Amino acid sequence: MNSRNHSATAGRTAKALTEVTGLLRRPQRMFSLVQKLVSDKLRVSFEQQHLYSYSTTKRPTAEALNAMLRWILDAQRRDGGIAAYYSLLTGYSASYPEVTGYIIPTLCDFARASGDHEPLAAAERATTWLLSLQMPTGAFPGGLHGGSHNDESQPSVFNTGQVLQGLVCAHVEMNCLEIRQAATTAGDWLIKMQQPDGSWSGPSAYQGTAHTYYSMVAWALAELSAQTENYLGPDNRDHNSNNDHRSDYGLAAEKNLDWVLSHFRPSGWIDGINLQGPPNYLHFIAYVLQGVLECAILRHRSDAIETVAKSAWVLLRKFETNKYLSGAYESDFKGGQHFTCLTGNAQMSCVWLRLFEVTDDLRYLNAGLKMNEMLKQMIPVRGQRGVVGGVSGSYPIWGRYQPLRYISWGCKFFADALLLEQRFTKTFEASTAETLPCAS
Amino acid sequence: MRIVILCSSVYSESACAMAARMAESGYIPVGALALSTLDRVTLLRKLEQWGARDVARYARAKLIPQRTNRPSQLRNPYLQPLLKHEDKFFRNLREVAAVYGFPVVTCNDQNVPESIACLKEWSPDLIIFTGGNILRKPLLDIPRLGVLNVHLGLLPEIRGMSSPEWSLLKHVPVGVTIHYMDAGIDTGPILQRCEFPGEAQCESLSDLRNRLIVFGIEKATEVVAALDRGTIAAKPQSTLDSDTNAGPDKDNQFFVIHEWLQARAAERLTNRRLAVVPGTVNG
Repeated sequence: MNSRNHSATAGRTAKALTEVTGLLRRPQRMFSLVQKLVSDKLRVSFEQQHLYSYSTTKRPTAEALNAMLRWILDAQRRDGGIAAYYSLLTGYSASYPEVTGYIIPTLCDFARASGDHEPLAAAERATTWLLSLQMPTGAFPGGLHGGSHNDESQPSVFNTGQVLQGLVCAHVEMNCLEIRQAATTAGDWLIKMQQPDGSWSGPSAYQGTAHTYYSMVAWALAELSAQTENYLGPDNRDHNSNNDHRSDYGLAAEKNLDWVLSHFRPSGWIDGINLQGPPNYLHFIAYVLQGVLECAILRHRSDAIETVAKSAWVLLRKFETNKYLSGAYESDFKGGQHFTCLTGNAQMSCVWLRLFEVTDDLRYLNAGLKMNEMLKQMIPVRGQRGVVGGVSGSYPIWGRYQPLRYISWGCKFFADALLLEQRFTKTFEASTAETLPCAS
Repeated sequence: MRIVILCSSVYSESACAMAARMAESGYIPVGALALSTLDRVTLLRKLEQWGARDVARYARAKLIPQRTNRPSQLRNPYLQPLLKHEDKFFRNLREVAAVYGFPVVTCNDQNVPESIACLKEWSPDLIIFTGGNILRKPLLDIPRLGVLNVHLGLLPEIRGMSSPEWSLLKHVPVGVTIHYMDAGIDTGPILQRCEFPGEAQCESLSDLRNRLIVFGIEKATEVVAALDRGTIAAKPQSTLDSDTNAGPDKDNQFFVIHEWLQARAAERLTNRRLAVVPGTVNG
């Protein structure tokens, strides 16, 4: 225990030193830093919310989406990977395999929605880079590429799942055998590493223990299973693979789904997020819900959709009453902390919007729209590269989750939420125009 | 029947109309407890709902005596018959109180001990809520019969905020519900549910809301008379609950509506109006 505390303290000290050094090396970053600190301080001081209010902005959704997409494209490094973050102290980080993987579906969705081909080219470069990182076992490494930690040499279940999301999508877009093989090898490795109870633990799991937010891995496997169905031959066999694992991927996904579902409390709270040290950030709570919901939709599991809806409803009520979601919660959604995790908010918007799609309950759409309005206000319209169009880890920016950073996965989830908003509002307008009786 | 009016401001047109209508029906209030007009939350809410220009216009109409007292000075024109007194219109609750002879007390919070003491002194049989704070148990326990609320939607289907808009979107008939308040939001026992027959005549959502307010005041007056005669009894919502709109917790609560959905509700209202107006689509 003591050695763990020592290493955590040493890690924090090293991080602080790196950040201070980064600022000393590029003192001009001080302008952006001070500007953001002052603007958040002013906003926090003068913000007045009441029961009847919600944040509104005149900023069009398409413009906000373009700004975030530009941020993501700017964050793509020379190697093709996407940086984890832009720090107001140290600038861009190195490429981050995990985010590079699951940002691919966002790039493809944006390209499809906008007709812009630039994001597709970025997705191709990102995929090529990811393929170069795959380990012989099929796993993908943890941590930042070329980072100071040893994570990079370690296979990571969670990162492999997140990268798998990207590979499945990239294969659909690019129809490349190499990508498909990489995806199935990654899926096979995930099945191999799965525990009999459906969880993932051991050395390839974060902090060595099982986590319920690995439902995101289950989602990736369910996606792989669904896509594998699409490239079966007429005899129902996969001619490009020695094994027909399509049902295995689906079963593994459901096995994890059942394990995660056993951790839901009647209050809607989910046990087993199991982060040792940090609090239960909204980002991880939302991960559990997103993973379970998407996996449940793909596997036609109405029981799991109902369970997620119950938790999502608890958070919806909190958002509607307080006008924001806390950055972190204690058990049973108690004791919310006084900062907001913007990424978690964006993820909850995705969850609500998807629940609207499957339940037709307009209150989810209403909450998603309002959440998106609130988040649109938080995206800098002006500023230097790395700042403009970015989504900060926390609001205010000095909040506990990824302080003083604009993070790529924040952009990814908020872009996803806005793309869903665009899709559903168009569909809703088309489907609900009431037909007037004809004059005859 | 000893009635007390609770309101968000002495300048609330709905509160003035409710008090005047009750008094005209023979139920002169024994008192009215209003939130201070300079209450920060109320001011903020009104600024957001109406905009600064409308708030300024409203304040001018209520605070500065006009040479001519025109109905156009009313924010809700349908309240005109209820607010008309001799050749003038009531501009605030104090003017209503002066005519009918009841006290008006202002406070910063209706739940604080001073407000509770004031209400207890009036020993009401019934409190009619037309606006103000979220009421706590000590206040709810004061009146012999209960605290009456006019909800602009049909309960139990549509609880909470933006009820007319949600009714249109959820295909629930537009209407009002007269109910007793309890610790929940719009969860108290129901005295009367009334569908609004004039929906097709409404030109906009604000027009619908204005008409619903007047409709609600009329229905509340009928309910008070029925309570006085002992011919009406409240029914718990659990006996009426319908699951049609219930959320995951069988929760029928709705929240303030986003402007995009509000626009869709307005479209539905317009479509319904066009569908029944002779000479338009139906010919």
